[in-house]
Amino acid sequence: MVREGYQPPTAGAGPRGSTHTGHEVRTQMTYICGDCGSRVSLAKDAAVACNQCMGRVLYKERTKRMVQFEAR
Amino acid sequence: MPGRTTKEDTPQDAQMEDAPTSAQVGEAQVEDEIEEDQEEEVEPQRVRILPGSTDTAASFEFIDEGHTLGNALRYVIMKNPDVEFCAYSIPHPSEPKMNIRIQTYDGHAVDALKKGLADLQDVCDVVAEKFWTKREEYNAEHGIAR
Amino acid sequence: MAPSKKASWTNAPDAEELEKRNTVGIHKETVTHNTSVDFPGHVPGEDEAFSLDRFRDGFSVDFHQNDPFHASFSLMGIDASLSNAFRRILISEIPTLAVENVFIEINTSVVQDEVLAHRLGLIPFKGGKEGLHNFLKWHKKPEPGEDAYKNSYDWNTVSLELNVKCTLNEDADPREDDPRKAYHNAHVYARDIVFTPTGAQEQYFAGDDAIAPVHPDILIAKMRPGQQIGLTMHMHKGIGADHAKFSPVATASYRLMPIIKITRPILGADAEKFQKCFPDGVIALDKVSAKEAAQKGSGYESHVGETKAVVADPMRDTVSRECLRHPEFEGKVKLGRRRDHFIFSIESSGQWDSDELFMESVKHMKLKCKKLEQQVMDMVR
Repeated sequence: MVREGYQPPTAGAGPRGSTHTGHEVRTQMTYICGDCGSRVSLAKDAAVACNQCMGRVLYKERTKRMVQFEAR
Repeated sequence: MPGRTTKEDTPQDAQMEDAPTSAQVGEAQVEDEIEEDQEEEVEPQRVRILPGSTDTAASFEFIDEGHTLGNALRYVIMKNPDVEFCAYSIPHPSEPKMNIRIQTYDGHAVDALKKGLADLQDVCDVVAEKFWTKREEYNAEHGIAR
Repeated sequence: MAPSKKASWTNAPDAEELEKRNTVGIHKETVTHNTSVDFPGHVPGEDEAFSLDRFRDGFSVDFHQNDPFHASFSLMGIDASLSNAFRRILISEIPTLAVENVFIEINTSVVQDEVLAHRLGLIPFKGGKEGLHNFLKWHKKPEPGEDAYKNSYDWNTVSLELNVKCTLNEDADPREDDPRKAYHNAHVYARDIVFTPTGAQEQYFAGDDAIAPVHPDILIAKMRPGQQIGLTMHMHKGIGADHAKFSPVATASYRLMPIIKITRPILGADAEKFQKCFPDGVIALDKVSAKEAAQKGSGYESHVGETKAVVADPMRDTVSRECLRHPEFEGKVKLGRRRDHFIFSIESSGQWDSDELFMESVKHMKLKCKKLEQQVMDMVR
C-alpha cells in the first residue's frame, strides 16, 4: 500500500478543525513528558520513556497548523 | 429570482417558489459569475398568493417573515373597515413562512394588504418622530450630551 | 354584509368607557379583558378605523431614564402588536459586529479550542459608530471547501489578535499563592485582545473609535507557566436571529403600566399594612383632611386626621397581588394594567446606545414594510 500518494479530501471534511496531515514519513517524533514537561525525541524503535526522568507518560504535541473554529 | 416571468400561476413557477434554494443553485450553475453577482442584488420574490384565493378573500404567503411583522400587520389590517376578517399564522415553526388571510366586505384583499403595509410605515414615522423629540427634550433637561 | 361605514348614530366612547376598555383586570387568581378590541365593527356604530391623525393624537412617549447602557421610556396609545414588533426587532434583527471565526495557531491552555472560540464570540465589542453602522457591510460566508478568507475585505471583516503566554514571575515571593502575582498572564482578559486595522479601517476606527471590548475585564481563560494562547479572530456583522452573540441588547422588554385603584378608604393600621403589600414608594400615607371628612358618602366621615393610604407611584409596582390576599382590603382595592401603556426597558450590550437602538428598530420596521410593499406590487404584476 502506497501511503505517500494518499491525498485526504479537502472538501466536505466538516467545518471545524479538520486537522489532516499529508502523511510525511518521519523517522523521529517529538513528545512532551507528562512528568517533567521536557521535550522527548523518540526514534522509531526506542523505548517509550522520557530520557530525563524516565517518565512513561508521553503526550503528543499539538499540531503546528492553524485550526479554524466558528465562534458559535 | 432573475429567471422569473410575469406568469404567476404556471405549475413550473409554483414549484420554483416552493423550493427557491434548489432553483437558485440550478440557475447559478448555468449562469456565469457576473450574473451570479447580480443575483445578490435582485431581491427574490418573498410574497405570493396562495392557491384557492379570490379577489375578496385571499391568503398570502410571506417567506422569511415571522410574528414580528405578522401580528403587527394583522392588527393594522383589522383596523381597516373594509376588512371582514384578517388573521396570520406560522404553519410550521421550522419553515420560514408566515401566512396572512384577508377577507374583505368589498374591495380587493391585495389592496387591504397594501394599505396595511402603508399604514404600518406611517405608524413607524410617527413613533420615530415623537420618540426623538421626547429624547431630545429629556436629554436637554438632564444635561445629557450625546 | 358590510356594516354601514357611516352609521348615523356614531357614538365615540367617553373617557370612562375608554379607560374601562384599556384596563386589563387583575384579580386574585385570574386576569380579565386581556385582548384589544379597538377594531371597526366591534362595538356597533363606533368608528375604530385606522387613521394616522388619530394615532398621532393618541400616541405619546415619556422618558424615564436615558443612559448609554440603559434606556427606559413609556409608549402610550399604541397596540401590543406594534410595540411587540419593536421589541422583537431589538432583540433579533438589528445587526452588530461580533467575532465569527477564530483561527487558532496555538492553544495549550486547559480551555479547549472550541470552548475558547465560543467564549471569544460572546464578548461584546464597541467602536466608531460611523464605521460600525455605515462603513461595515454584510459578509457573505464562503461555501464549504472554499478559502476561508475568500469574501473578506476591510469593509466587511474586522480582524483581531490574541497572543498571550503565561510565564513565571521571577520577582514574586516564592511562597506567593495568588497566581495573578506568582505568574505573568495567569488570567487572560478581554483587554488582551489587539485590534489590527486593515485598509480604510484605520481612519474609521482610529484613536477612541478603535474596535475594543466593551468590558475589558471579561475573563477569557486561566493559564499556568508554559501555557500559551495565540490566535487571530475575524469579526463579521450578523443578527440576533442567527446567533445570540449578535443581539445588540442584553435585555429589551416592556411591561404594562400597573393600575391601583383604592375604591373605599383604607385607614389607620390597615393603611400601613396596605403600604407594606407593595414595593417601596408605591403607596404613600396621608392624613384625612377636614374637607374630605366633610364630604358625605366618601367614607372619610368622622375620620379627620387619621392615616389613609393613597397611591403615589403605581409604576413602581410589581403587581404581586399581595393586597388581594388579605380579607381587610376586600372590595377596597382594584388592580389592573393599562393595555396601551408600555414601559420599555432597553439595556444595550455596548455597541449601540440604548436610545439609538429603539430608533433603529422603528427604522427597521419601516424598511421591512417598504420592501414588502414593493414585493406585493411585484406579486400583482
